[in-house]
Amino acid sequence: MNDATSTTPAAGGFTGDPAAALTVAGTSGCCGNPAQATLTLPDPAAATGGPCCGTTAEAEQAGSCCGTTAKQQAVATGQGCCG
Amino acid sequence: MSGPPAPTTAPAGLDALLDRVSDERMATTVTALAADAFTGRRVGSPGGTAAGTWLADLLAATGAAVTRDTFTVGNVPQVYAPPGVSWEQGGQVVPLGFGRDVAVHLASADRPQPLRAPLGTAGYGDPGGRWLLVPSGMSLFDAYGHADGAAGLLLARGVDTDGWHYTMLAGPNPGPLPVLSIETGLHQRMTDAAHRADHDTTLTATTPIRRTEVTATNLHARYRIAAPGGVDLLLTAHYDGVGDHPGLRQPAAADNGSGVAVVCEAARLLAAVLPDGIGLQVALLDAEETGALGSAHHARYLTDAGERPLVLNVDGAGHLKTAAAVEAGGPAHGLLAVLDQAARHVGLPLVAGPVASDNRRYAAAGLAAVGIGAGMAGYHSPADTPDRVENATLTTVCRLIVATAWLAAATPATLLSLIGDER
Repeated sequence: MNDATSTTPAAGGFTGDPAAALTVAGTSGCCGNPAQATLTLPDPAAATGGPCCGTTAEAEQAGSCCGTTAKQQAVATGQGCCG
Repeated sequence: MSGPPAPTTAPAGLDALLDRVSDERMATTVTALAADAFTGRRVGSPGGTAAGTWLADLLAATGAAVTRDTFTVGNVPQVYAPPGVSWEQGGQVVPLGFGRDVAVHLASADRPQPLRAPLGTAGYGDPGGRWLLVPSGMSLFDAYGHADGAAGLLLARGVDTDGWHYTMLAGPNPGPLPVLSIETGLHQRMTDAAHRADHDTTLTATTPIRRTEVTATNLHARYRIAAPGGVDLLLTAHYDGVGDHPGLRQPAAADNGSGVAVVCEAARLLAAVLPDGIGLQVALLDAEETGALGSAHHARYLTDAGERPLVLNVDGAGHLKTAAAVEAGGPAHGLLAVLDQAARHVGLPLVAGPVASDNRRYAAAGLAAVGIGAGMAGYHSPADTPDRVENATLTTVCRLIVATAWLAAATPATLLSLIGDER
């Protein structure tokens, strides 16, 4: 363990596995796809998506990298969203 | 340059560095970027260009070698005049407020001349010559199928907690009809009136929106050169905004003046203390709001040049609630581990969550990339003002970036290992 962690407040960091950040919902959005070698990509035709950017189909319909409804939800919850 | 941190990462050295994070300097940067002169920093606008020049000077003043990289962005929408919209019912004219009651939809055709027509409802009756209220649940695509001969379409759209429509630059291409977004409650009242009154209720509106091709500019600042095969850290944030509307300032303080301020402050501090052989560069990106095009352009440049930096992207450091969202891509297991360690050190909770920003472009290019979003108020609206960017959030996120870079410099073998990233 690094010495730096000995003074670490308990509240900081990920509560679970940091690698979960590699598989968050929405990473198949058209803003870019993560390297496929590291991820199991969601089914592009899936009917449900994350709060941002929604499903690929929704994004395509909106002509954006985010589905319109997903974008609105993401904004409402204070999450960033591109484009 | 001062000496490198000890391989075991002496906490005192890191903490001393963290203590030097200046919320005042970051707040000054945010306020400057949100100023009237930069007009909300839409890509290709005079204000956006001026902001880029100002930032280049800021980076150079901290010792960076700064270069600009321009590229073309097409089809950038701009509402070039306030849409004049009024609803007339039973002889009473109700003007609709731009930005609160009504906004021009990205799918709208450009129509600068007022168009007066009775209201109707898409899917009910003859649409010919009417402004059609699109029922909730009906998509724009479906509405077009009910709009033969219609004057235009009126979509319901919720506003934010401040009562503003948010502005988007990335979205559908313009269609054949004028299209307006109407605040949901008002849309319902108009629908109710249309059902009751036929030609007694009308809408008069303009939809002045055009699309142009513009020149965007990424800023690259190199502080330190990485040793061959060594760790090269790339801190990124987009500096463009959605831009002001005529008569409506949209300062883009949190999105993403806050991220820019964090990255600049972190780089300023790290440049003087990272060990020899650890690379440090900053990219302040344009055209994120049009679909993360600046980072797409930069990622292509990096891969063509054979560079493989570790990317830390900050988008939104204005209003931390309970935790900062982190999204990673590419071979980022090592980087995430260091980020986690840094977050524990500075006491910032992290949660795996979507950060749909420039980090995705770098990840798509196969680079280890982490996006960090700590939240913001007034997203893409006139309410995104500097006073709503919290100094505490700026400081916390900056401390996270500084600590991550410091720990990365202390454990380069961990970062460059592909364990966990080769599957």
